[in-house]
Amino acid sequence: MAYSDFTPAQRAHTKRILWLLLAYAIILPPLIWIRANTAVAGYVPTLMAIAASIPVLGIFASWGRYLSDERDEYHQALTLRRIAVATNATMGAAVVWGFLQAFGVMPLIETYWVPFVWVVFQGMYGCIEFFAGRRHGAA
Amino acid sequence: MPRSAAWTRYNWRTIWLSLLYGAFLLPAVYGFKHHLIPGGLQYVAAVLPALPIVGLFIAMGRYLAEERDEFVRMLRVREMLWAMGFTLSCATIWGFLDSFGLVGRADGYWIVILWYFGQGIGSIANKLTLGASAR
Repeated sequence: MAYSDFTPAQRAHTKRILWLLLAYAIILPPLIWIRANTAVAGYVPTLMAIAASIPVLGIFASWGRYLSDERDEYHQALTLRRIAVATNATMGAAVVWGFLQAFGVMPLIETYWVPFVWVVFQGMYGCIEFFAGRRHGAA
Repeated sequence: MPRSAAWTRYNWRTIWLSLLYGAFLLPAVYGFKHHLIPGGLQYVAAVLPALPIVGLFIAMGRYLAEERDEFVRMLRVREMLWAMGFTLSCATIWGFLDSFGLVGRADGYWIVILWYFGQGIGSIANKLTLGASAR
């Protein structure tokens, strides 16, 4: 689907995501540099960690806003299904990894990998939908 | 709110999966604690208790597909969306706090506990915004 085919809600969501990713790319490198090269202490590192999280939290908020803004029920249903599949698959992966960690078989990892895995599952399901749609279209 | 047939089936699946969880978890904990499980089988023993929990998510997906009451289904989907936003936000914040060396690493299954807690938040949000809750 080309950008010109996007619904108004999809366009607004895409713009929000691009701005948030830009903010993330601007905010994160200096925070990592400051943490690695200076002796910040007290509440400052906590504020730095939360500042790095805020654009990512904005992305989740943008998804919620998109779902409430979307007037096309078909697109809304597709998005809801994709989110449901990605969420359940991510929870499944988290619980399997969690037990592997708990029994000392695998190492502990940073929890921000969970949203990363969620995005990957969304992309994978989106690809499956795309190819399934093409196959149906060809049949 | 009256319970639908789909919700009753979901509850039964949950009960069976919880029993299975207990049946897998207890021997795994005992085996690891007393070093009874040989190298290669450790992965299998660690993954087995996770499978019934994975089954809970599949049961939830199946419930959504089976539920015929569109209003109740919409309430459940909203709960799950709240749970998703809450869980992913907590995971992101904790991940960065961990990355900056401020907190310890957490076992991955806490994500699932947060998700269920997030569903409770979603239920409260439904009650406040729509005046109805599926619970």
